[in-house]
Amino acid sequence: MFSMKKRLFTIASIATFGILLGGCAATAPDDGTISIWVDAARVPAVDALQAKYPDMKLEVNTISNTGGSSGLKQQFTLFNQSGEGWPDVIFFGALDDIAWAASDPVDYAMDVSSVMSSDYWDGYSDAAIAPCILDGATVCVRNDQAQDVLWYNKTMFDQWGYTPPTTWEEYESLSLDIADNHPGYFTGLVGDALTTARYLWPSECPTNVRVDAETVKIDLEDSSCTRVKDMLNTLVEAGVVSAGGAFDSEVADKVGPNLVMTPGATWFGNYLFRDTFKVPAGQISASLPLAWEGEQPSTGNEGGGLWVASKHVADSKLGDVETILEFMTTDSSWQVELSTGFPAHGSVQDAWLAKQAADGYFADPDTVSEVFLEAGAMVAPYSLLNYNTGDVYTRTVAAKLASGGTFAEGWEDFASELPKEAKTFGYTVATK
Amino acid sequence: MTNKLSASVAGGTESPLLRRRSGFAHRRSESMGAYTLLLPFLLLLLLAGLIPAAYALWTSLVNRTGSFAGIDNYVNVVTDFRFTSTFLNVFATMVLYVPLIVIIAVVFALLIHASSRRLSASVRFIFYLPGAFAGIANFVLWLYILDPTVSPVRWIWSVLGYDSLGEVAQGSNVPMILSLILLFQGVGSWMLIVYGALNTIPEELIEAAELDGANAFQRAWLIVLPILKPWIAYLSIMNIAYALQLFLEPTLLGNATNGKISPEWTPNQLSFTFAYGVGDLGAAAAMSIILLVLTLGIGLFIVTRTDLFGDAE
Repeated sequence: MFSMKKRLFTIASIATFGILLGGCAATAPDDGTISIWVDAARVPAVDALQAKYPDMKLEVNTISNTGGSSGLKQQFTLFNQSGEGWPDVIFFGALDDIAWAASDPVDYAMDVSSVMSSDYWDGYSDAAIAPCILDGATVCVRNDQAQDVLWYNKTMFDQWGYTPPTTWEEYESLSLDIADNHPGYFTGLVGDALTTARYLWPSECPTNVRVDAETVKIDLEDSSCTRVKDMLNTLVEAGVVSAGGAFDSEVADKVGPNLVMTPGATWFGNYLFRDTFKVPAGQISASLPLAWEGEQPSTGNEGGGLWVASKHVADSKLGDVETILEFMTTDSSWQVELSTGFPAHGSVQDAWLAKQAADGYFADPDTVSEVFLEAGAMVAPYSLLNYNTGDVYTRTVAAKLASGGTFAEGWEDFASELPKEAKTFGYTVATK
Repeated sequence: MTNKLSASVAGGTESPLLRRRSGFAHRRSESMGAYTLLLPFLLLLLLAGLIPAAYALWTSLVNRTGSFAGIDNYVNVVTDFRFTSTFLNVFATMVLYVPLIVIIAVVFALLIHASSRRLSASVRFIFYLPGAFAGIANFVLWLYILDPTVSPVRWIWSVLGYDSLGEVAQGSNVPMILSLILLFQGVGSWMLIVYGALNTIPEELIEAAELDGANAFQRAWLIVLPILKPWIAYLSIMNIAYALQLFLEPTLLGNATNGKISPEWTPNQLSFTFAYGVGDLGAAAAMSIILLVLTLGIGLFIVTRTDLFGDAE
């Protein structure tokens, strides 16, 4: 009786073990369904796609869009380990994501330079498609551009007798003027991860210059960096540039409605000023990006999404994948009617600008449209790496500002941590 | 022995030989019952504890191509520029959180134990309620409290000079904030456990002390607390372990402040970044083994010092 009980227990535990193991083995058959991962803001794009191609079988997964999110990286690492599970098409909201997705060890992105037609590629300006070019291969297509322009409140400026500045030096002196004569108003935001794109990228400050696949140049002592640091330190001390970030709740409440001037992405207009800060219509306008005295104007880029196709797509599905990429970047039912970002592909830009002008939110829509178009070509070259410079900035400078320190103190932390972060990701850091 | 034999024969009970055999079988079936009840736990411990730990140990000793790497991964982890600060962060949190939860849980349990039955029942319910929320619901509640723009107690923040969530959750405040969140969540259940332990103390013991002239405080300090020592040890081990392996709350707080709190604030978060940020699974495994050894070490220390598994007097 004793040994029979023991036998029963042994059989029961082996059976449980077996069931648990066996459950892992099931795989779904491939029936031509395209798996497509998008963030919440791009779900309407997928709906529009399905409306135009009702026979296409789509499986949609909504993902989070916090920039450089390691949640996505985690999933792709696991897919590589298990050999299955990659989405066929994915939308990246942050430019840096393509760097890790297209290089070792993840190596997910398909080279689409030969997949799309040459007419298609002609529609992209060099600056618009630049983030997708990695070591000679084109590993993604650009959904929208988020080039920085100079936003300002035309109504307040007219009231105070100001004209928008054309150089950074003018920006600084005008900001100090506003601090003295109109306290309580703001002319910039430096508390979020996009600050490096907004202020450092236009100055071509070498925060992350890709020398080759394993070497990065970081030189924050360069004059192109220190001039920005000194300017922002002065303006933050004067209280006219806010230590808050574009997505902070207290900025939406207190700073945003009083933001009379700021460099910012094309999406600042609708997403921030109109929808978040709720500035009344007819006040906000934009002018061309600023230049440092004696230099050509150049600007940065705060985002601008990417559509990426998987290397692991079955050949039978390639045609559909090509259709999807082309639809997402050039079809007006998504790009013109629904997309809130300035389209990256030239074929739909004019229609999008016309629709924006018709919406009538900006003080002078025609000027804003011209500015968007011109600024798009002014984006300076920028390297995308496996780590996010903006994230390091947020946890050093923005964190220091939040705990009552100065911008310059935060900058010291930033300068010491940035090379360490690069080294953790396996880069050798060069300073010259 | 002869007396027992004659006594049992006289009493008409079964022969001693038979009785001995059924005694032995009785003990065997008792222990078989214990193993039956333990088996599901042992299976889970194996699948979710021992096997993953062994796999982590193996992963920490090989490099990316799979060949033996000795202690390379451990050296990488220990020399990482964030290693020391992660441990300083969790120790700062532990030093605040663990004493507070032990003291508050024990004191509240003593107070409730001493109060009338009806009051005690309703107070127990109220204290338990925060713990009944899922961790994430509790956390969202705290986000509202901590954000000066929406907080119901924003006057506290304006007195302290904080205008934004980023300022409230600045680096030096994070250990205190985490301790408060964990306390709010956990003190209810732990208090109930200690209260249950108090109910096992025989009334006669307390009454004897009272008769000897001990007042309430002396009874609590000299009689009850020493008896509660194993439960306090258990309380400490579980909470030290949780604090050492903190991950969820700092990650959520970091997301809520849009990245101002480093995503590698705790050792567990650093391990996560090694695994999925950098893609270095060996380093991640090495960090997890370091945490395991540390937690086991502290646990063993407490168990032996307080004789947690010793026999009751």
